[in-house]
Amino acid sequence: MNVDAAKLIGAGLSMIGTIGAGVGIGLVVSGAVQGMARNPGYSGNLLTNMILGIAFCEAMAIYCLVIAFLILFVF
Amino acid sequence: MEEQPKKWRWGKFRWILLAVIIIQIFVSRWVPPMMPNIQVAPEVVTTWNGFGITNTLIATLIADVVVLLIAFAVYRKARSGDLVPRGITGVVEGIIEMIYNQTEQTAGKWAKLIFPWFATITLLVLVANWMELLPGVDSFGVFNKEHLVHSLEVKGIHNPEEEIAQKCQLNEIYHGVISVTGAKECAKTIVPFVRVASTDLNFTAALALISVFMTQVIGVKAQGIKYFTKYFNTSTLWTKPAFGTIDFLVGILEIISEFSKILSFSFRLFGNIFAGSVLLFVIGALVPVFVQSGMLVFEFAIGMIQAIVFGMLTMVFMTMATQGHGSEEHHS
Repeated sequence: MNVDAAKLIGAGLSMIGTIGAGVGIGLVVSGAVQGMARNPGYSGNLLTNMILGIAFCEAMAIYCLVIAFLILFVF
Repeated sequence: MEEQPKKWRWGKFRWILLAVIIIQIFVSRWVPPMMPNIQVAPEVVTTWNGFGITNTLIATLIADVVVLLIAFAVYRKARSGDLVPRGITGVVEGIIEMIYNQTEQTAGKWAKLIFPWFATITLLVLVANWMELLPGVDSFGVFNKEHLVHSLEVKGIHNPEEEIAQKCQLNEIYHGVISVTGAKECAKTIVPFVRVASTDLNFTAALALISVFMTQVIGVKAQGIKYFTKYFNTSTLWTKPAFGTIDFLVGILEIISEFSKILSFSFRLFGNIFAGSVLLFVIGALVPVFVQSGMLVFEFAIGMIQAIVFGMLTMVFMTMATQGHGSEEHHS
């Protein structure tokens, strides 16, 4: 197996970590939507916090993406 | 004559839009878009006294100038005595008020100390991120011979210099701006004049270092030398050895978490914006018409959210630094 093939496989493997980010974003949004449904008056504040939470979860996926980019284009 | 409610009508702009779309379709047939040459490290555009000026540095300077210009414009408008903010003054006032209210809600009496950091970081990162939406950023540059030689060598071509001379008409375009219709191999490897500042790890790491360092400074300002008991917690080490040891180890963990803050700050912003700008170009190469517009809206939102997240996290960490170790007061 040559190095290019190994790089591609490694980049693909490193993106497995996005599973966790997906689950996390799902949990965040489900909690926020439940909160909004029960207390619509509070939804503005909830939305801000939800987006913050999504950004944190997304950051995990982005770390995986950074690693994939590093494997593909730097090494 | 009764006043009629104004109906929404498509003006002449629909024809312009239609023409642009049709032109786009034909142009993308004529000059098929190509996959971008993706590179993590920023490229050196020129050197000044032996100091390499990268394209992301240029973007950072542009972002600085834009923020300063907005600040001066708003300052002059505010000094003119006009109490009703209009135009850009109103927008900036809205943003600043939103940021200040958020800070005051969280930080309380330390809001005045923390607010400038929050606002500065948010505005600078916002301007830097939104630069990726402009056409010409990331795509307009000079031809780079070294990149091309390198990429041809990787492909196994023995004398890349000759190959380049044949394919790219090197004499004409070597120092000039590359034309779009240049040979594929040449057009792929340009060095853009301006590349989005946040796609450079140096920029984001510098902001992260500033943010984390100033968190310590604000902590010391708020609590005095007592702030460092957060890291070297020896208050209960002698009176209650069992729990004291755990507290001391928690302090060591706090030190590690400060360093991991730097990492997560810098990689979050870098990764989001780098992935965004790569995404824009890859989507543009795959589907040249329409789809990229949707991606632009998406990146608009991502750029704003990441700027706010960077600033807000700085603010939250600074607020946590001003508040003392909550449980300590119960102990003693």
